[in-house]
Amino acid sequence: MATSSSPTASVPPTSATERRPKFFDRAAFEAFLKTRDEPGWITDLRRKAFDLYGQKFEAPLDPEEFKRIDLRAFRADDYRILPNGAVSATTEFATLLADRASFVGGVAHVNGQATRATLDEKLARQGVLFGDLATLVRDHREIFEPRFMTRAVRPETDRFSAWHGAFWTGGTVLYVPRRVQIEEPLHSLIGLSEPGAADFSHTLVILEEESSATLLEETASVRADAPGLHVGAVELLLGANSSLRYVQLQNWSPRTYHFAHQAGHVERSARLQWTVGGLGARLAHIHQHVSLDGPGAEAQVNGVTFATDRQHISYYTQQTHRAPSTTSDLLYKEVLRDKARVTWRGMIKVEKAAQKTDGYQRSDALLLSSTARCDSIPGLEIEADDVRCTHGATAGRVDEEQIFYCMCRGLSRFEAMHMIVEGFFHSIYDRIPVEAVRETLSKTVERKLGIGD
Amino acid sequence: MADFEQVATVAEVPPGGRKSVIIDETPALLLRVGDNFYVIEDVCTHDGQPLTDGPLQGCEITCPRHGARFDIRTGKPLCMPATEPVRTFESEVRGNAVFARPRD
Repeated sequence: MATSSSPTASVPPTSATERRPKFFDRAAFEAFLKTRDEPGWITDLRRKAFDLYGQKFEAPLDPEEFKRIDLRAFRADDYRILPNGAVSATTEFATLLADRASFVGGVAHVNGQATRATLDEKLARQGVLFGDLATLVRDHREIFEPRFMTRAVRPETDRFSAWHGAFWTGGTVLYVPRRVQIEEPLHSLIGLSEPGAADFSHTLVILEEESSATLLEETASVRADAPGLHVGAVELLLGANSSLRYVQLQNWSPRTYHFAHQAGHVERSARLQWTVGGLGARLAHIHQHVSLDGPGAEAQVNGVTFATDRQHISYYTQQTHRAPSTTSDLLYKEVLRDKARVTWRGMIKVEKAAQKTDGYQRSDALLLSSTARCDSIPGLEIEADDVRCTHGATAGRVDEEQIFYCMCRGLSRFEAMHMIVEGFFHSIYDRIPVEAVRETLSKTVERKLGIGD
Repeated sequence: MADFEQVATVAEVPPGGRKSVIIDETPALLLRVGDNFYVIEDVCTHDGQPLTDGPLQGCEITCPRHGARFDIRTGKPLCMPATEPVRTFESEVRGNAVFARPRD
């Protein structure tokens, strides 16, 4: 008995997403353009992306990346971009990071609209730009036109990047001029406050030669029961000898869908340290790409994921080595409980020119219940012949003996579990240089475990 | 407990027929055997992918990829490589309409 004949009955089409969503068709797009006061070159880019989006929506998604992601329950018709002015600036978010450190600047977006943008005056005088993309892109065409959606995230990649390219609403921009060092961190918040709201925010970080910065970004929903949609993009462009620490903590409501293309390009001897936290969302899929473009470029990628209930968090990570003597080091740690699912598909690509590459990728998963499921698929694609590339993945349950050992010493089962989870994440906390982020992650993990405040 | 929601009309699904539906944000498959309606989660517990096009014989559905079989009445796995039951939903016919809801 094995696979046999065709089905006995006619089956209706199954993919509800094949149809163009009603708030994102041509009429909606034209109406959206009218609400934007933008120069011609941006409108042209949007139109090109919209045409691509139309084509991509008909075409199937790349099975290599999407076959483990079930989009059937995702109804794009339920979401829309809210009109300007629909947001009250006073909306309160339970932010994870905002109060935990002192920041020299902050930008907040709610439902895709910028509600706040501040930057230390001294930095502004040095030529640092930090604020809302929709505004800055108008005044600084010479900086943004060559780099906005041209290198790191391109509309032609798939339907989500094209969708984003057509409808991006705003987002946080950081531009650091040559030789400017920003010691203190900057903060960015992306929020959703209304049920059914869609956020198309775009984070763009440009570091010129020999500059450095730290940007901590988080996403949050006002209401835990509110459905939401995020179709986002992150572009990190690091000039030679620059250094960026970028953190994004995804903490949407458990009814939010999150799709994002995130990419970092690292030039000669520059260093990128990138941490992603996956805590919220009903379904999150992140396509994360680091590209080491210049000799001696270095990238460290950290991922912390804690999925519970029926969450599905999915990552498709790529580390591309394009130049000699480049280093990439990726470590993901996932904890799953209940019926949660985590999918991680990783790939190290080494191009012919990238001799003396040192590439590493590893994903470890800890399953707290027998109904959780984790799919980890590491991969290598190497064209050079003098490299060191290491990869691996583990998945396992909590050892009952460890719990018993802790309980013998007076801990409750809950506390024991917490200690084991905390210990599991510890090796990744050690790699995160910003204390506020370590603390925040640890607190959030506690809260999700059902202990702590 | 969640409320029943209408997922189909009786006429829509002839005996031996099926319909893809969404219940409680979960993709599910409504199947008709004779005059009885059954609803299972539309995901094979072996590889986590759809059972949608799987051939149905009596009350047994076969996964179109690796040949795992499930009893659509109880969700019970009947053939390797599946070892875990598939989730089932409660269904009810009221007049001309078929209703379903999660069991838990």
